Amino acid sequence: MLIQVELFGIPRARAGVEKTTASGDCLGDVLADLATRFPDLAETCIEDRHLRTGYTANLCGERFVTDPETTLREGDLLLLLNLDAGG
Amino acid sequence: MFGYHSNYLRIDVTTGETRRVALDALTLRAYVGGSGLGVKLLLDESAAEVDPLSPEAALAFVFSPLVGSPLTTSAKFAVVSKSPLTKRINDSLASSSFAIAGKKTGHDALLIVGRAPEPSLLLIDDRRAWLQPARDLWGLTNEKAQARLRETLGPEFQFATIGPAGERQVRYATISHDGRHAGRGGSGAVLGSKNIKAIAVRGSQHCEWAEPTALAQLAKALSEKSLGPATAKYRELGTASNLLVFNRLKVLPTRNFQQGSFPNVEALSPEQLGVGREQTRTSCAACTIGCEHLYSLGNKKSGTTAKVRLEYENLFALGPLCGIDDPETVLAASRLCDELGLDTISAGGTIAFAMECAERGYIDAPWLRFGDRPALLRALEEIATGTNLGNRLAQGSRRLAQKIGHDTIAFAPQVKGLEIPGYDPRGLQTMALGFAVGARGADHNRSGAYEVDFSEAVDRRNVGPEAALLAVETEDKAAIMDSLILCKFLRGVFVDYFGESAEMLRLVTGWDVNADELRNTAQRIVDAKKEFNIRAGWTPAEDTLPERMLSQPLLDDAKAQLSPERLQTLVEAYNLARGWTRDGFLEED
Repeated sequence: MLIQVELFGIPRARAGVEKTTASGDCLGDVLADLATRFPDLAETCIEDRHLRTGYTANLCGERFVTDPETTLREGDLLLLLNLDAGG
Repeated sequence: MFGYHSNYLRIDVTTGETRRVALDALTLRAYVGGSGLGVKLLLDESAAEVDPLSPEAALAFVFSPLVGSPLTTSAKFAVVSKSPLTKRINDSLASSSFAIAGKKTGHDALLIVGRAPEPSLLLIDDRRAWLQPARDLWGLTNEKAQARLRETLGPEFQFATIGPAGERQVRYATISHDGRHAGRGGSGAVLGSKNIKAIAVRGSQHCEWAEPTALAQLAKALSEKSLGPATAKYRELGTASNLLVFNRLKVLPTRNFQQGSFPNVEALSPEQLGVGREQTRTSCAACTIGCEHLYSLGNKKSGTTAKVRLEYENLFALGPLCGIDDPETVLAASRLCDELGLDTISAGGTIAFAMECAERGYIDAPWLRFGDRPALLRALEEIATGTNLGNRLAQGSRRLAQKIGHDTIAFAPQVKGLEIPGYDPRGLQTMALGFAVGARGADHNRSGAYEVDFSEAVDRRNVGPEAALLAVETEDKAAIMDSLILCKFLRGVFVDYFGESAEMLRLVTGWDVNADELRNTAQRIVDAKKEFNIRAGWTPAEDTLPERMLSQPLLDDAKAQLSPERLQTLVEAYNLARGWTRDGFLEED
């Protein structure tokens, strides 16, 4: 299943793209796919199907998700961003 | 005593009299320093009961036990007073060498009362303090005043100044040091009301640390952690990188909080701001993070040398909030605020409110329109120079609404008179609670409740009373960070925040302080702020949001909606979680 991914902040800077697609049925699978395709993103933001400390994901602008087993559906949009929103 | 000088200097600028007042260990341990100690000093001065712009009002510059230590980001000071904008407690923080030099004068705080007979410079050189006439500085921008002082007094002195806005007692004027500002709540107006243009500090008094070797080791480890992923955002992109995220989540306040997203936001993103502009990065003294991103004003072809510090808050307030999508205008407006000494959030909030009033025909200023670039710059100039409209804008959005009438108070973007920062409360409802109950008004620095909204713990657009305890936790962390004082951009590096903070304090002071004690200290500090506000006339009705935010969803996100009943439920849950009465008064004991 293909998932749309939008990247912000450090994830965007590391991946070098604003948007991409990734395949997977759950958050962990999508992160693993992204990690394979974007090594710099993986080095900073992703570790073993998890987001590293300091990073989070949001599903469709609706809810924040970090559990790698979070089920994704066709048409879902995943936002990858810095956890720390303040400043 | 380790970490402290065990006294503060009380300066009456009416008479020039100075007095060193002892601070005992119990008081220092109970309130630590910074914001906490400042509130305690102001309570002891009965500062809540007087007009904040009167000679009797007190203004305290407060250092902390960590200032001067090798701990990263510890070069900070708090400026604490009653706010002329809110008439409630105000503690605004700033950074860098003024904190180090100020503490080296041999005092844990400098407390100023009175009114100097003429525009003056307050000099504090080691333990000696005196006033000098400063008519030649009056009228100068912050940058020029500090340059003049540096030239006159030499590089060993550090300076805090007010700009023309502080001189004119604009209610949201700042106090500036080296390009940074004690920004919110109008402490610059308080200093201006005392006829003090600048404070110069120099000293040679050092504090000892209880366990210097262990402290150095801890400081080294903390510095290394501060270079890790938790601070990468601040280091590499700066806080301005919030802009696109907030826009995507539709919580970016736009056109006076009517919308949560801004059509041409990409043009203001840090990525676009860097195109064709020189960009540099710098840091406060004793900081390893280096979050400050400066952009040149004008493009490379123009050969300009002016650099502007750009943070998310000035970007949102002088950009989308006023409907401005031109980066050059936002940079020029930010620089103007820095030079004049204006809080960017309150300036932007008040002007955005005035723009909406003008468009609705409540203000006779046809030139003042959302998105009008010259209008924003003109409005800022008028605030500082004092035209008829400028004088009204200088009062802040709440007083402006009260003057205009027509129920415009319903969309004045403020809580307790303090303009709301760049987090739309309808889409971030734990933050809505934090704003409503904030001791100094709508405040993203004393409550980090947005962190809860950006997590799985709550549904940010449908928050229930369970969020109250989480909001309390973020407020308690801020109370300790602002009293120790450490930079909030470090908070992501701690695994056990209270435990690790207690260890720092233990190594500096030698006290056997632990995490539980610091949690109690946080509650004590928040209680002290509430006590100040009650003495100043606080009522439960103040703990709310503007009516617009309780009756209208965001135009671009119908799910982002709050109601008075929902907010009231949250506020009551918060009050009970704090151990206060349901309506927010301190319990008798």
